[in-house]
Amino acid sequence: MNTFKLLTKKTNLIQNKLLKVSLLFLVTCNLGLVTGAALSQTPAQLEALQSELEALSIRTERLQDVEEIEILQRSYGYYVDKSLWYSLHDLWTEDGTLEIGGRGVFTGKDRVFEYMNVGLGPVGPARNLLVDHQQFQNIVTISADGQSAELRGIAMVMSSGGWGHCYYENDFVKENGVWKMKTLHGPFNMYSGYDIGWVDNIIINTWPAKFPPPPDLPPSVIYLAYPSYYVEPYHYPNPVTGAPMPPHDPAAGGEAFGREQ
Amino acid sequence: MIKIIKPLNTTRRTLVAVLMMTAIVLPGSLFAQRNDDNARYSALLTRLESLKQEATLVEDILQIQRLGRSFGFYLDKGYFGEAADLFTDSGRVQYGMDGVYIGRDRIQELFTRHGGGSMNAGPGLPFGRLNLHMQLQPLVTVADDGRTASARWREWALLGNYKEQAQWGDAIQENDYIKEGGVWKISAMRFYTNFVAPYEGGWASLQPVFGNWQSEVARSFRPDQPAPGNYRPFPSVYTPPYHYANDRRAISAPGPIALRRRPNDVLGQLEANADAQELKLARLHSARAVENLQAMYGYYIDKGKWTEAASLFSEDGVWEFGQRGQYIGRDSIRRGLALMGPEGLESGQLNNYPMLQPVIHVSEDNSRAWGRFRSDVMLARNGTGQWGGGVYENEYINDNGTWRISKQHYWVTFWGDYDQGWTGAGIIPMAPASTTNPPDAPPSVVYQSFPNTYVVPFHYDHPVIGEPHNDMGRLTADQAAGRNVR
Repeated sequence: MNTFKLLTKKTNLIQNKLLKVSLLFLVTCNLGLVTGAALSQTPAQLEALQSELEALSIRTERLQDVEEIEILQRSYGYYVDKSLWYSLHDLWTEDGTLEIGGRGVFTGKDRVFEYMNVGLGPVGPARNLLVDHQQFQNIVTISADGQSAELRGIAMVMSSGGWGHCYYENDFVKENGVWKMKTLHGPFNMYSGYDIGWVDNIIINTWPAKFPPPPDLPPSVIYLAYPSYYVEPYHYPNPVTGAPMPPHDPAAGGEAFGREQ
Repeated sequence: MIKIIKPLNTTRRTLVAVLMMTAIVLPGSLFAQRNDDNARYSALLTRLESLKQEATLVEDILQIQRLGRSFGFYLDKGYFGEAADLFTDSGRVQYGMDGVYIGRDRIQELFTRHGGGSMNAGPGLPFGRLNLHMQLQPLVTVADDGRTASARWREWALLGNYKEQAQWGDAIQENDYIKEGGVWKISAMRFYTNFVAPYEGGWASLQPVFGNWQSEVARSFRPDQPAPGNYRPFPSVYTPPYHYANDRRAISAPGPIALRRRPNDVLGQLEANADAQELKLARLHSARAVENLQAMYGYYIDKGKWTEAASLFSEDGVWEFGQRGQYIGRDSIRRGLALMGPEGLESGQLNNYPMLQPVIHVSEDNSRAWGRFRSDVMLARNGTGQWGGGVYENEYINDNGTWRISKQHYWVTFWGDYDQGWTGAGIIPMAPASTTNPPDAPPSVVYQSFPNTYVVPFHYDHPVIGEPHNDMGRLTADQAAGRNVR
């Protein structure tokens, strides 16, 4: 080792020592800042600020959750419009379910694809076919832990078959930070042809054998759409009174069956 | 083994010098630093409060949307008492020219009678009664103190009695809200009926209304106060007052936000956390402002307010409609909008462009946004009705805290006469570029509407898989791989 190198090494050693001492001093001073030894913010104050910011970040995340779930539901409508079944079934969890009208429950993402592709038609838009499924009026409720959510919404259908109005009471789950459709449940309110509208010419519901494929499970509820009365239970309480929604009163008279004689 | 010893390192030398200086000067500067940190700390406290207010504002907008949507869900199924429960004790409903009904009991009875329900039964409707009231296109303005708010809504109703009649309903609501004990309630609803039209013949078959046009309900169930002012429904053209005339709060949000570097100390970490919250909240607020902006545009188009609609665009904004071509800049856009009719519309003209199903994305720095909307259009002119439908893919720009439309592109799905809609021979092809009022540029994409079909490109990646939409590519790949798809 020559002298130059030795010198350099020494200098480096001294530098390193100085660096360490200065750093140590700085760290100590900064610790002083934090612990409040020298300054006025106590650890308790800083912790309080920290936890306030955390509480705020949960509120922010819930708002973001509502936004993301609305986008999911509305995208579903845009996909149905053009028979984009790949994009559509990708909205689901692997074991998610789909139940529309009275056709029963289809379990799993692949069956969602099959329901659309076998039941409704090939992938992609077709000439002379209109299947617009407008998504309206979403009410999104996020669970307290932010890991699941429910949605009530409307599909207003303008299709080659005429008019349709159905509700959704759907469930969503957050998997690895991404919201997905867990359950799509779409009870019919009114389906009619175009010619004379809903004065008559009504489709009161569908059923499992109406067209293939068959479901995995029977319908979760048996009901008839307009002109009969059916109300899908509301997942959320009245936003003003906080009271859960009462069941409907059979005395109002709207159900075609199930009424007392 | 030769150990490589680094030559004197300039960077390190500088660092040592700086650190030594700091170490020497620090005791003297502790006081200054303490003052500086106190300032940073109290700035954080102030910021936290304003961030909380920002979160509250976005929550308020969503809560008011929830109230309006709940109102619709309750009317639909004859939950009239629950609908009335959304109002304050002294809540008021001004219904068309029927008059004003005050208090929850009166409001419940008003909607029960209009909806065909019974005051002698609980929630429900009689067999054969259709009472679907869709609540759409909310435009919410929250007052600066966060205690009151106003919103404009569009109601599209499907009404009827089985085997007797089917009807379309069209109305605008201008509502006031108040926060009582932390809960938002409706304090006043001004329900402006535009028409209730028979399905057969539709809205274009309606005759002008003269004299007293109070509903049958109001004749037997008298209001508490007469309706202020007077207006006539379609086919007259009446514009319910806009709560946001000369008020841009609904389309305002924080301006673009640049990333800030924060010192790597405890306060710096808290500051960085606050920065992240601020950006997220700003983007959420912006999404609501863009939703409001598009709604505002739609409400102006409804009534032929071309000048107001054009004022919502950026200076160099672009407006493109079907195959009519592109109109660039506010003056041109006003000229393009006038293709729909005279400013203010003519009597008997209906120009409903609802703004529906928004999918809005705001850029990472809150400076730009993209929105997909749907608009199914109800039209009438010279006694002829039409249905139309299409999709918007629009772009927006944050102009120092006011959102503006930088590009509006309406892609027509279908157009048809009222009687057959899209189901028969009534299909109307898209209008080409006007020769008398020509566009500044040709259509950006050439396509045909129904019976042809076209997938309007999505501005966003798939929300779950995070990839561009590629259904046709995936179909081709699956078919090539022998998978059973079609």
